[in-house]
Formats: sequence, structure tokens, C-alpha cells
Amino acid sequence: MITQIHLADWREKALQFEKNINQIVLGQTPAVRAITVAVFARGHVLLEGNVGVGKTTLLRAVAQGLGGDYQRIEGSIDLMPADLIYYTYLDREGRPKVDPGPLLKQGENLATFFFNEINRARPQVHSLLLRAMAERSVNAFNRDYALPHLQVFADRNRVEREETFELPAAAKDRFMMEINIDTPNVDKVLDELMFNPNFHDTDQLIASMGESNLAYYQLNALAEAIQIGIQTSPTLRSYALSLWKATQQPQQFGIQLEDVDMAQLLIAGASPRGMSYWIRAAKTRAWLENRAHVLPEDLQAVFSICMTHRLFLNPMYSYRKDQLLPDLLVGILQRVAAP
Amino acid sequence: MRVLLLVLLLTGCSGSNTDPVSTLKLETPRPFGYLIGDEIPFKVMIETDVGVTLQAASIPATGQVNRWLNLNQVQLQQRELHGRWHYELELRYQVFYAPLEVKLLTIPNFTLQLLQNGKEISQIVPAWAFNISPLRELSIRKTANGEYKRPDALPLLLSTTTPWTGVVIALCVAVVSGFYLAALYGLLPRIFKRHVFRRASQQLAKLSKADMDQALSCVHHAFNTLNQRPLFHTQVHDFYRRHPNYKQMHEQVDWFFNYSNRYFFSNGMIAVALDVDKLKQLCEQAQKIERGSQ
Repeated sequence: MITQIHLADWREKALQFEKNINQIVLGQTPAVRAITVAVFARGHVLLEGNVGVGKTTLLRAVAQGLGGDYQRIEGSIDLMPADLIYYTYLDREGRPKVDPGPLLKQGENLATFFFNEINRARPQVHSLLLRAMAERSVNAFNRDYALPHLQVFADRNRVEREETFELPAAAKDRFMMEINIDTPNVDKVLDELMFNPNFHDTDQLIASMGESNLAYYQLNALAEAIQIGIQTSPTLRSYALSLWKATQQPQQFGIQLEDVDMAQLLIAGASPRGMSYWIRAAKTRAWLENRAHVLPEDLQAVFSICMTHRLFLNPMYSYRKDQLLPDLLVGILQRVAAP
Repeated sequence: MRVLLLVLLLTGCSGSNTDPVSTLKLETPRPFGYLIGDEIPFKVMIETDVGVTLQAASIPATGQVNRWLNLNQVQLQQRELHGRWHYELELRYQVFYAPLEVKLLTIPNFTLQLLQNGKEISQIVPAWAFNISPLRELSIRKTANGEYKRPDALPLLLSTTTPWTGVVIALCVAVVSGFYLAALYGLLPRIFKRHVFRRASQQLAKLSKADMDQALSCVHHAFNTLNQRPLFHTQVHDFYRRHPNYKQMHEQVDWFFNYSNRYFFSNGMIAVALDVDKLKQLCEQAQKIERGSQ
């Protein structure tokens, strides 16, 4: 059982973990904080961003910081679910052999699974991932394989849309967060990324990362301790409930977007599972901020990253999704008061 | 036959217009029915060759022409049309002759000087005669009240009721439109929010430590109204940027948000009377700022 004292110790480790990543991936402090929250809330993460902004480096740094085994697979149009489970080949004696695929290779020690370009994979692959993410187990060779420490990170680039498959709503909902990774806009950071040779060799950069002293196999118990230890008051619960309702019926909270019939805007708001992820993330943030209770600012800090991929717009507004969704979420935060 | 041709040729040459002033025309008003003090407009129109210019010095000057005639206004307009100069000289005379009976008077002639190739040419503008009448008969009759002459009867005043009604209606429409526009531009909340802390103070005055929920909520409501959106502790810097006057009470504001966070979101917070007093002091301070007295 992880006690309060341990929680304090773990917090120091978590902050060191975050600091180490920030030294490897420059100019992405908010994204690193969000991933830190996801790691200690045990939520899966979907990353979205342009090509070459550091998504893969960030995830490799996270894997390095967490320890445990790490597997990575590249999404492609011909990738099939079986490719994640096993692969077949002829051995030296010419006999056919079947070996476990990336999901099963490390067995229960698999801590980080990185699915690169997830939207290039077919829906069948997404379906397999659904169970792996939700239940942390996979059925193969007529038995279930438990993956208790599995945390899935997936990324998709927002530049290319050809030959891609939009993630189904159910798959999206199983991700705790969708984090946007943008190009840093601070000149000093850009200068460092361009001219400092340390940032040119990713392998060397990751190898140089400081020790975080995290025991990945204890993260589940730590996450439960955080969820139990960090308190939410009735006022906060009421505030969170109002925010949730506002994601479903924004017009009832006086939220109005330009050229939008608010009653027609959404076809589906956030799900109860999404809301439980959101609260888990908010509690973890409160813990990282060294508080024993959740404040509205914790809910607000993780509101957008937990909600954006859970709101589904009416098709007539979906072409303005990139503009309307952020405006809607900001509008909700600006209309709902606590208390 | 030769004689006839010579005659025709000479006739053609002699027919060419060598007069520099091709047209002189007067435009005069009616020549009768004038009374003492009347003004008489008089227009002279002259058309000349292009090489002929009217000498401005020869134009009559304003002022007294003779004992009973004044020239009040002189105006010359000049334009070129179809290769000729057109001059329009407008004169406005005023008659001061007091006749005892209907009398014929004459505006005297005057001479205009024109210049053609350095040679001066005179052009006489002819005199113009008109009748002038007395204002009244020679033997003055009297009435019981004395002389019958009197000013004109005052004209009847037009009713202003209808225009005033229109003005009042227009003003009402303007005021209503103004309010509507102010509401559209979001100015009305700005008007109402000027007194948010006064209302909060009034509400706080009725509350005690047992009503800490309401007390904190009403101060939150005041800040939210002023901020035009819910204000949280993490956003106070943005609030100070938009309302810099409130920065002077940042310690009280920080205390308020910290206290509210502990009260509403953590367990085991017990309110005491001193906390309510501090809230009241905060509201009073904010009220002074919204009044502009600090």
C-alpha cells in the first residue's frame, strides 16, 4: 500500500521524470506536463502534430524514463491485427516457426507501446487495440495474455490525410488524452534545436537522459493511491458536472459560437468513461501540484486535452472542426463558474 | 459680266463683320411700378471677338450714381463660347427718389472701354427709363387714431404642435435605439457592473459566518460580473491587466481566492467571524475602487 509519505516521495520522482523529459524535448513543456499526468493516471495518449516536431522523440524519452519494455510499430495500410500478435518465419532448419509479435513479445513486462501513424492502420487493427487499451489484455493462441503495465501512445500527423483511416469513436474514447504537439515558437529553443549537435542524434540524446528512478510496475498501485488520496469536494463535483453538461448542451449554458446553431452543433458529447478519465487526470495534476484536493484549475488544465477527441460535431460543422472545437471548449470554461 | 463680278466681290468684302462688339443686349426688368427704396437688377450682355477684351476699369464702380440713384452691386462674368468672348455684367441699382406723383426716371448711360490690338474702342450702354410712384397720396388723411399708416399685420404663427410631437417621438426612438445598440455592443453589462461591489457589500452586510457559502459566492459573483466571465485564482493576472486599479488590493484578492479554494474544495475548513469581516473589508476596498475614489 502506498501511503501519503510514499505519495510525496513519488511526487519528487514524477517531477524529476518530467524535468528529464523537458531536457530532452525542448519547448514542449505543456505537452510534457500532460504526458506526465497521463503516465501517473495510467491513461493512454494520442499525439497529434506536424511532421518532425518531436513526437517520436518525446515518446522515446517517456519510455526511457519509465523503464520497462518498449515496443513500437509503424501503422501502414497493409498492417493486419495478426501482425501485432505474432509473426511467422522459417528457421535455420527450414521449419516454419511462430514467434510472438510486438504486443506479446515482452509479455507482462511491456510498459510502453508506441503506435506510430495510427491513422494509417486499418480499422481491424484499431479494434484489436481497443481491447488491449481498455482491458490491458490480448487474446491469442486460445488464451488471454495480460498486459497489466501497458500504456499505449499513438500518434498521427495532421498534414497527410490520404490513405488514412479516421479512428472510430470507440477507439478515440479509450485514449485519456489527445495532445497537440506544435513547433516551438521561442527563438532560443529553435536556435538550440538547429545548432546544438546534441539534438541531431536522437539515439544519443535519449541515451543521455537522466535517471528517473521510476519503477514502472508500481505505477498502477501509485495511480490507485493517487485516485484514493486526492479529494474532491461536493462543490468541485458540482462544477465538474456542470462542465460535463455543457459539453452536451452548450446552448443551455449561454455558449454561442459565430455562425453556429448551437442546438445542432454536437451529435455526441463526452462519455462517462471520458469523464472518469478527466477526473483521474485532474486528480493526478493536483498531486503533481502538491495538493491533497482537486481545484477547478486542475479540471480546467486537463479539460481540453481530455475532451477534444470526445466531442463529435454534426457533419455540417465538421469541416470547421479545428476552429469550432477549441472555441467551444474555451467558451465552456468561460461560462461555467465555480462556485 | 466683268462689272457684275467685281460688284459682287466688293459686296462680299464689305459684308464682313469688322465691328469688335458683335452683340450688345440689355436684360431689364419691368419699366414701371417702382417705389422709393426698390432695387433694379440690370444686366448687360456683350459678345466680342476673341482678341477684344473688356477693360475692367471702365465698369461702373459701386456707390452713388447721382442724387437719387445708388449702384449697390456689380458683378462681371466672362466665358468663351464658339470662339467669341461673352461678357455678362450684372448691376443692381437702388432708387431713393421720393416722387409726389408718378414720374419717369432714367438710369443714365455709361461707356465701356474695350481693347483690340492695343486700340481702345468705346461701347455705350444706353440709358434706361422707368416709372416710379409715390408711396401714398399727396394729402395725408387721418383716422381717429392718427395717421392711417401702420406696419403690416403680423403674420399668423404656424402651429408647432405637430413638429414637437415628431421631435419627441424621434428622441424616444433614438434613445431606444441607443439602448438596443448598447446592448448589442455589450455595453449594458459594463454599466451595470460599475456597482457590483456595492451590491456585494449590501448582501454581505446581512450575512454572518454561518452563511460563509453565500458570502463567498456573492464576492465571487461580483468578481465574475466585473470580469465578464468566471474568474479563477490562476487568472487574476489577466484580470489585473484589464482592471489595473484592482492590483493595489492584490493581497486581499489572493487571500480571498486561497480562502475560497480551501473552503469550497478542501475538507475541514471552519469559518470564523473574522473571515466574514475580512470579506467585508475586501468588498469595501473594491467598492472604493469602482467608485473611483481610490
